[in-house]
Amino acid sequence: MRRVAVVGAGMTKFIHRALETPKELSWLAAKAALDSAEMKLDQVDCVVEGTAPDAFDGVHMNGEYLSDGCGAWKKPYLRCYVGGGTGVYALAQGWFHIASGLFDTALVVCEEKMSTCLPHPQAAFLTIFDNITEQPLKPNLLWIFALEMNRYMSVHGYSVEDIAKVSVKNKRNALGHPSAQLGAELTVKDVLASEIMAWPVHRLMVSPTSDGAAAVLLASEEVAKRVTNKPVWVQGVGWCLDSAYWTNRDLYYPDYVEKAAWMAYRMAGIREPRKEINLAEPYDPFAYKELHHLEGLQLAPKGQAPRLLADGVFDRDGDLPTCPSGGLLGVGNPIAAAGMMKLCELFWQLRGEAGPRQVPGRPRRGVAQAWGDLMQVGTVVVMGVN
Amino acid sequence: MKTPKNVETHVWRGGIPLESRYTAGLGGQIFFQALKERGELVGTRCAACKQVYVPARAFCERCFAELTEEVKVSPEGTLVSFTFSAYDRDANRLAEPVALALVKLDGATTTMLHRLLRVTSPEQVRIGARVKVVLKPKAKRTGSILDIEGFQLA
Repeated sequence: MRRVAVVGAGMTKFIHRALETPKELSWLAAKAALDSAEMKLDQVDCVVEGTAPDAFDGVHMNGEYLSDGCGAWKKPYLRCYVGGGTGVYALAQGWFHIASGLFDTALVVCEEKMSTCLPHPQAAFLTIFDNITEQPLKPNLLWIFALEMNRYMSVHGYSVEDIAKVSVKNKRNALGHPSAQLGAELTVKDVLASEIMAWPVHRLMVSPTSDGAAAVLLASEEVAKRVTNKPVWVQGVGWCLDSAYWTNRDLYYPDYVEKAAWMAYRMAGIREPRKEINLAEPYDPFAYKELHHLEGLQLAPKGQAPRLLADGVFDRDGDLPTCPSGGLLGVGNPIAAAGMMKLCELFWQLRGEAGPRQVPGRPRRGVAQAWGDLMQVGTVVVMGVN
Repeated sequence: MKTPKNVETHVWRGGIPLESRYTAGLGGQIFFQALKERGELVGTRCAACKQVYVPARAFCERCFAELTEEVKVSPEGTLVSFTFSAYDRDANRLAEPVALALVKLDGATTTMLHRLLRVTSPEQVRIGARVKVVLKPKAKRTGSILDIEGFQLA
C-alpha cells in the first residue's frame, strides 16, 4: 500500500445555530482545507464525505445533497457513516482511495447541522434503539451514557468529582480555539453545580449540539512532497464494531476501541503506545468518555485514567496532552464534523501551527479516536511527522 | 426457525417524530429576499465557469469560488421538459392531473422546476415553448418558492 499524507485542513466555527445551509458549511470547510494547501478544486481526484443521521440535516440521502458543497461535482464520491465514529472513519475511507493507488488526492469533508432537527436532535436517536425491546421505553442517549458512566465509576471506585475534571480541562483548552462554541474557565465545583440531566451526568459534562463542518486534504507521497514541506503522514487506521446488543457488553471498558487502536498501532509500528504517542484526541462527547477511551486506546492502564488526569498528565503542558483542541466538550459536537475536527487538530499540532493551543515539545505522533453507532464502534487514526 | 402457519403477524406502528427547520442559507437569502420584496428572480454568476445559478448560490460547484456577483434574470424562459402527473405522493389518484415543467429562464444557465399553469393535456404543450413566471401578489408572498405560482405558456 502507498503512503498517504494530510496536506491541508480547515473548519468552520462550531455554533449552536448556523445561517449557512449544510452544503454551504461543507463548502466553507472544504475550501479552507484546499486553501491551506494552496490547491484548487480541479487538483482533487476524489471526494469522501461523512455525516451522521440524515435526520439532522433533514435531507434523506444527505450525502448526495451535500456533494457539491464537498467539491464532488463530476468526481468519484463516497459517503460514509458510522454514527459518531464517522468523523475519524472518513479519513480511513479517504486513505483507502489513495493507499490503493486509485487516486493521488482526496478531499475528506465532514458536516453536521443539528439545529435543523426539531424539536431537538435527540429525537433522531430514539429510532436507533431496538424497536421491539427498547423503543417502547422511549430511551434517550443520556440514559445510556449515564448507565455507562455509573458502571465505569463504580467498577473503578471513582467519584463524580474525579470525572468533572475532564470538563474543566477541555473547556479551558477550547478558550484557545477560534472555532469553539463553549470554551470556558470553570472549576470542578461549577461542573457539579450544573443541572443533573441523568444521574451521574451533569449538564457541564455533556457536549452541546452544534452546526459545523471540517475537512482535510489527503495526498499520495509523490503529490504531498511536491505541495508541502510539512506533510503529516497517516501512519495507521483502525476500526471495530462490537455487539449490536449494547446491553450485553460490560460497559465499564470499550473493547472495541482497544481492538481498533491495536489495528492502527500495528500498522504504525507502535508497540508501546504510552511511550510512542505524544498527544491524543480521544472522543469526549461526555466527560467520562475521554477517560474511558484513553484506557481503550492503551494510553492509561485500566481504571487509571482519572488518576493520571488528576496528576496533570493530560494537561496541555502535561506528559500526554489530551484534547488540546478543547474537544467536543469545548469546541462543540456537530457529530461527524467533531471527529474530523480532532484530525485537523492533530494536523495543526504536528505541524506546530496550533497557535495558543500548541502543545510544547514538538510532538511527533498523535492519535485521534471517535466512537458511535449504538455505543459500539471505535474508529482510530494515528498521524505523525514521518 | 420454522415459519408459523395460520398465525396473525404481530405488528405495531411507529414513526420517526421529527420536523426540520431549514435555513435558506447565504445564497438562498439573496434569492428569496428579492423574490418576496421585489418580485425578481436573482441568481449569482461565476464568470470563470460561465455559469449563472438561479436561485442564487453562495459558491460555484465547478471551481469552489465564492459567488458575489448577483444577476437579475428574466421572468421568461424556455420549456425544457414537462409532465402531467395523475397521482399524488401517497399514491392517491388526483381528480385532475397536475402539470409540471422544467424551465430555463433567459439569462440563467440552470433549470427550475415548478408547476405549469392553465394547461390540461399534453397536446397543449411542446418542449421548446416560451413560458413566463406567474408570481403571487406581493401581499401574499412569504419568501418561499411557492411565492411563484408556476409557469404559463407565453
